[in-house]
Amino acid sequence: MAEKGMLFDTDKCIACRSCQVACKQWNELPAEKTTFFAAKGGYQNPIALSPKTYNLIKFYEVEKEGRLRWLFRSHRCLHCVDPACVTACPVEPVKAMTHDKELGIVYVNKELCIGCGACNEYCPWSIPQIDDNTEKSTKCTFCIDRVTNGLEPACAKACPTGGIKYGDYGKILKMAHEAKERLEEKGRHPQIYGEKELGTGTRKIYVLPEPIDFYPDLPRDPKVSEDLGFFRELLKPFGGLALTASVIGLLIGRVKEVREKQKV
Amino acid sequence: MTNHWIDIRNADCIMIIGSNAAENHPISFKWVTKAMENGAKLISIDPRFTRTSSRADIYAPLRSGTDIAFMGGIINYVLQNGLYNEDYLVDHTNASFLVNPDFHFEDGLFSGYNKDERKYDKGTWQYQLDEKGIPKIDKTLKDPNCVFQLLKEHFSRYTLEKVSGTTGTSPEMIVKIAKTYGATGQNGKSGTIMYAMGTTQHTVGTQNIRTYAMLQLLLGNMGVAGGGINALRGESNVQGSTDHAILFHILPGYLKTPRSENQTLDQYLEAWTPRSNDPKSANWWQHTPKYMVSLLKAFWGDKAKIDNEFCYQYLPKVGGNYSHISLFQAMYDGLTKGLICMGQNPAVGGPNAYKERKALQRLDWLVGVDLWETETAAFWDDPDVNPKEIKTEVFMLPAAASMEKEGSITNSGRWSQWRYMAVHPPGDAKSDLWILDRLYKELKKLYASEGGSFPDPIVNLNWDYGQGEEPDVHTVAREINGYDLKTGKLLPSFGKLKDDGSTSSGNWLYCASYTEKGNMAARRDPTDAANNIGLHPNWSWCWPVNRRIIYNRASCDLEGKPYAPHKWVVKWTGPETKWAGDVPDGGWPPGEKHSFIMKPEGHARLFGFGLADGPFPEHYEPVESPVKNPFSSIQNNPAIVIWAKEMDDIGDSNRYPIIATTYRVTEHWQAGQMTRNNPWLVELMPDMFVEMSKSLAEEKNIKNGDKVRITTARGGITAYAVVTDRFKPFKLNGKILQEIGIPWHYGYKGLAKGCSANCLTPHVGDANTMIPEFKAFLCDLEKEVG
Repeated sequence: MAEKGMLFDTDKCIACRSCQVACKQWNELPAEKTTFFAAKGGYQNPIALSPKTYNLIKFYEVEKEGRLRWLFRSHRCLHCVDPACVTACPVEPVKAMTHDKELGIVYVNKELCIGCGACNEYCPWSIPQIDDNTEKSTKCTFCIDRVTNGLEPACAKACPTGGIKYGDYGKILKMAHEAKERLEEKGRHPQIYGEKELGTGTRKIYVLPEPIDFYPDLPRDPKVSEDLGFFRELLKPFGGLALTASVIGLLIGRVKEVREKQKV
Repeated sequence: MTNHWIDIRNADCIMIIGSNAAENHPISFKWVTKAMENGAKLISIDPRFTRTSSRADIYAPLRSGTDIAFMGGIINYVLQNGLYNEDYLVDHTNASFLVNPDFHFEDGLFSGYNKDERKYDKGTWQYQLDEKGIPKIDKTLKDPNCVFQLLKEHFSRYTLEKVSGTTGTSPEMIVKIAKTYGATGQNGKSGTIMYAMGTTQHTVGTQNIRTYAMLQLLLGNMGVAGGGINALRGESNVQGSTDHAILFHILPGYLKTPRSENQTLDQYLEAWTPRSNDPKSANWWQHTPKYMVSLLKAFWGDKAKIDNEFCYQYLPKVGGNYSHISLFQAMYDGLTKGLICMGQNPAVGGPNAYKERKALQRLDWLVGVDLWETETAAFWDDPDVNPKEIKTEVFMLPAAASMEKEGSITNSGRWSQWRYMAVHPPGDAKSDLWILDRLYKELKKLYASEGGSFPDPIVNLNWDYGQGEEPDVHTVAREINGYDLKTGKLLPSFGKLKDDGSTSSGNWLYCASYTEKGNMAARRDPTDAANNIGLHPNWSWCWPVNRRIIYNRASCDLEGKPYAPHKWVVKWTGPETKWAGDVPDGGWPPGEKHSFIMKPEGHARLFGFGLADGPFPEHYEPVESPVKNPFSSIQNNPAIVIWAKEMDDIGDSNRYPIIATTYRVTEHWQAGQMTRNNPWLVELMPDMFVEMSKSLAEEKNIKNGDKVRITTARGGITAYAVVTDRFKPFKLNGKILQEIGIPWHYGYKGLAKGCSANCLTPHVGDANTMIPEFKAFLCDLEKEVG
């Protein structure tokens, strides 16, 4: 199987949120208790990703130069080519945060995961969420259980407009550039996000119809924290010993202390 | 829809007005998106910036209830600037027809108005006829009495200034839309109009649709690919329900319900069978007797004979209005004692819901047939009601959902698609067919054994859908198609129906849907037709006779040449090979018959004398409006029924200065049972909310997320405030008007509970259809204290 990719052609998104519901249905995730709406600018619910929510549609209501835009974005794991969460995962010798390089998919091996949270700490978008009940990391699986059985991911299947496209990465990247060109022809200022981010890119790519400052929560230049190496160093003395989440928690705490000091 | 969902992709310009298609018909955006990929422009017109507007090239706000003014402005621009398609107008519309010189219009009223009866005498709304009784025409369109000149004069009053001062849309925006959409008037170009309840739910709802249809005719957009006037129906099978006569004024296939003056079958057929002296008019409704007699044969079988008027006397003769509002008034007045509510939830969905809930309390009995216990079935559980004081006996019958039963669903594009049962219904839930079959059989037993004032229509009904536990839905479908009663064979199409009792058809429009070749609705061949415009003629089946785009003869000139060769619908290929492409609107050679075959004059009506409230649309204000009608001294539609009964209060703008409208959202559906009981959807939209502009919120000291009390003359409700740039105040001649919007999905049952928007809406209806004015009324609001 070739490396898989996914395109969020967000100009085609109508925020129907069928992808959000289809994700919950396929992954058998329960609903969250919500009240009113979680954020200004639209109908977002719930407030953030969680062990119950792997895919969240965000709404952006922006008025600039007399023109109102209502933009939408599917927030979730982008499946990095060089995933920091996998590097950070302290479980050895087989990582719990698993990178299937052939498919380009990053997923959690729940049998191995100790729920330490290092993946969340080092994800530039803080995507993985630790389930306090099961003590496992959770996130978008790229529907690897569907993909390896010849099905498209549930979100892409549910999307009515073609705003989510799934396919071989090469094709997806080509489609992203075509979508960008179409938007440019219409006088918009589109941007591809995920092709070159973090140097090697991600396997899920956004085509944003407007400049990135319309999306204040999306890091303009995402970076993996520079102390990932330091964290790996701290792990070394433990060698092959079985680490617990609480030990890792202490180590992450130590890293953070140093990080804060350096800022000062 | 005159066209169908897939056909939207063929449009060069798409106007979505009175509809929020992206939210309420998300799948339509598959085709809207495809059209846009091919370069189509999308125009969204809505009081509020919606998820549809977010995708549009052009968004224009308009004040709720001002569609006729808005479209009148566009029509005037098209007429003044020659954007109309003159050849199309002459060949396919009644633009050239001469009208009775006594017809006139003055200060908001057409000739023939009777103030006391609030009705028009349509005596002057007629064509001039020649000695043969054929309408006179002037193909130069210059005669001052021709429809085109009258139209021009009528809409000349819809100046940019006046329209802008009525709608709140800027003059520049009106011009921009008129130019953009008007460009589809060129041959080869097409534009589609997608509309829904934002158009219809007004006291001028029918005339709203007419203004859209007239614009489409002026631009030559009817009958063509990517054109049409396209009603997006709010439920998966509402088109099917309408076809099969869910409304009181029609029988299956849009035959008229007998009125009290139609005392005999002959009188009925005389009254409802149109005549034409024009040999070029196909005048399709001339076949009414064949369709009516075949329907009576389907209803009463062998009992229907020529010497008993085919049991015509078994049909009730309608003397009054039995639409939704009238029915609830009758319950409120204690005249109607019992109600069977199948898949309907008026305690949430009905207008003036406080009154409708009160009406339910006065029933002797109520039967609810639904997937969940709805607010209607549990009206006694309303927090405002003491169940001890209710005497109504309530029965709850659990029903099967669409995927739990076999049958057909007819979508907005008139496609009847057969569905198989995917899973068995849970518990005691039964299909509607099972419930109705048992109900009928019990009724028949009772009438047969106990008699009654008129048992014959029930006892003699032709009713045999097999002996199994579940009635045979295929037998029902075959009965709808109809039989040659001499041979017992299924009929191939309605062309074979007869008025002598030798054929039967439960719905002439569906004759051809289930033939000796099988169940056409079950076909699943995705191959496209030769013209490759997405007709897919062997996928399911559509009425009439599988014609995917109706009025398609108007896609060609009088030689049968398509106006748009690159997206032709039908074309004449010669006397041997005849028409190619879609099933044409009649197989006659081009020019032999006029193209609009359902009208006796064979031409589409720009001058439409069939309506109750005028042959041309005219702007009137909603019954509740903060604005004095800028177009005339007639404030409201002069042909609507004024109810003014108990609990029917109408608010004035001094007390209630804010305009309100209602709508649906993607996450919930209709009165909410199916979605407010689904935790995933409840997560997305858990609570009742009200959307308002920032300036209104500031004025009322309301912050996003505050609880707000909204009141109208009918009552009050509570909702969370969404303060947004998507609502902007309207500026009308210097006056600032605020509008708010509320979803109408919520109620007191289910997982997500909230106040019902329809507790606020008035009991007033359209002059032609009585559809309630849900979409424009007056309110006030304030921050809720405590």
